[in-house]
Amino acid sequence: MRQQPGHRHSIFCILPPHVLRDIARTGTEEQREAALDTLAADPTFRTLRAIRLAAPVASASTATVSLSAKVGTSEAKQLQRAVFDCDNRRRLPGHPVRTEGAPATNDDAVDEAYDGLGATYDFYWEMLRRNSIDNRGLPLNGHVHYGRRYNNAFWDGQRMIFGNGDGVLFNRFTIAIDIMGHELTHGVTENEAQLIYQDQSGALNESISDVYGSLVKQYHNGKQSAEDADWLIGEGLWADPARGEALRSMKDPGSAFDGDQQPAHMSDYVSTIDDNGGVHINSGIPNKAFYLAATGIGGYAGTKAGPIWYAALRDPRLKPDASFVQFARLTVINADILFPGGPERQIVREAWEQVGVVLPKRSDPT
Amino acid sequence: MRVQFKMDGGFAYLPDRVAPVTIDTDELPEEEASELERLIEAAGFFDLPETSAAPRGAADYLRYTISVASPEQSHTVHFTDPIEDPDLQALVEFLEDKTR
Repeated sequence: MRQQPGHRHSIFCILPPHVLRDIARTGTEEQREAALDTLAADPTFRTLRAIRLAAPVASASTATVSLSAKVGTSEAKQLQRAVFDCDNRRRLPGHPVRTEGAPATNDDAVDEAYDGLGATYDFYWEMLRRNSIDNRGLPLNGHVHYGRRYNNAFWDGQRMIFGNGDGVLFNRFTIAIDIMGHELTHGVTENEAQLIYQDQSGALNESISDVYGSLVKQYHNGKQSAEDADWLIGEGLWADPARGEALRSMKDPGSAFDGDQQPAHMSDYVSTIDDNGGVHINSGIPNKAFYLAATGIGGYAGTKAGPIWYAALRDPRLKPDASFVQFARLTVINADILFPGGPERQIVREAWEQVGVVLPKRSDPT
Repeated sequence: MRVQFKMDGGFAYLPDRVAPVTIDTDELPEEEASELERLIEAAGFFDLPETSAAPRGAADYLRYTISVASPEQSHTVHFTDPIEDPDLQALVEFLEDKTR
């Protein structure tokens, strides 16, 4: 399904990029939105920016389609959810139990998956102007009651799948809204950057899912500020609350539960064969960097830090085998692109430094 | 027959629980030992490929490693969620239950 070209106020179309950037920084909410929209979609500007940064021009299949979505108008939303019940078997897809617009079912797993899919879609639409996982309104499918006492949730490349937990170690895996955000974001990452699910690129992949899972949760809580947010992933998942409050903490990696081994600094990076090279462990490092950037910038993290990370994710220079430092560099560069002359760039750079990911002095080309 | 079972990775990956668990059919009640042997047979275990890759773009899947050693033969397989074959599903669920 092709995306319709975005409508922009005609005045903004004739303004030169530097004026648009000023408006993007200092205008009213509506003006800023229109200016950002124009800047991002304008092919001349993209070309100029690419030349300035000595990077290849993004192809039409990436920037143009995604950034031409209508801003905030409901007729462009293409939220199409379907939740399936796997009846405690591992056979997919299971049978459909709730489709888009259908009322609540009183099955917690079904309704939580449904709401989580919706919240994730709404977050991406409002805060990042992204129309579902593929930016073309891909239907969002969730599959619950997967397996018997299945202690996991995963993304199979096309859909989200949730177990009920065994009730001893874990509760059902739809219990925290960030889990749905986390799983769907794997789809976004695969669509954009294809970060290889191994070692550092895999830990980045994991971190990006934790980042946007958290931003979805904070969005759902009324766009909580970074200071007020708890930065916990999987709150309520432990069947025994004495074990811990959550599965991971972005604010304080290693503190979420008794036995949490996430590092918060490169000096504690875990080299292991397990877990695809510790992708769920070493994600603590970039998670902490995002937390520091978000709290350093202030306000709801989905307003500035989220878009900075998103721009880095979609940056043509981000390779599937990216290391932490390569991704960090792109967040710094994109902080400068999105907020030229602002404090964000330095805040982002220092956030990475604090977790031991140190960029060379000149981190962007002349 | 000695069966070793390991689960790795997953959204709620716990490094403490990653050590493989070994089951010796000689130490199981007779019914369970027969059941396990039947499940291994039904899954065509000794003909399964040694490794199978996760689906493209997949994440947070569990990775399973099963080793079976009998006097006649031994074999180890590594595979991930989603498990497509119902017989392999049944074997995994049996092993999960025994090693919880």
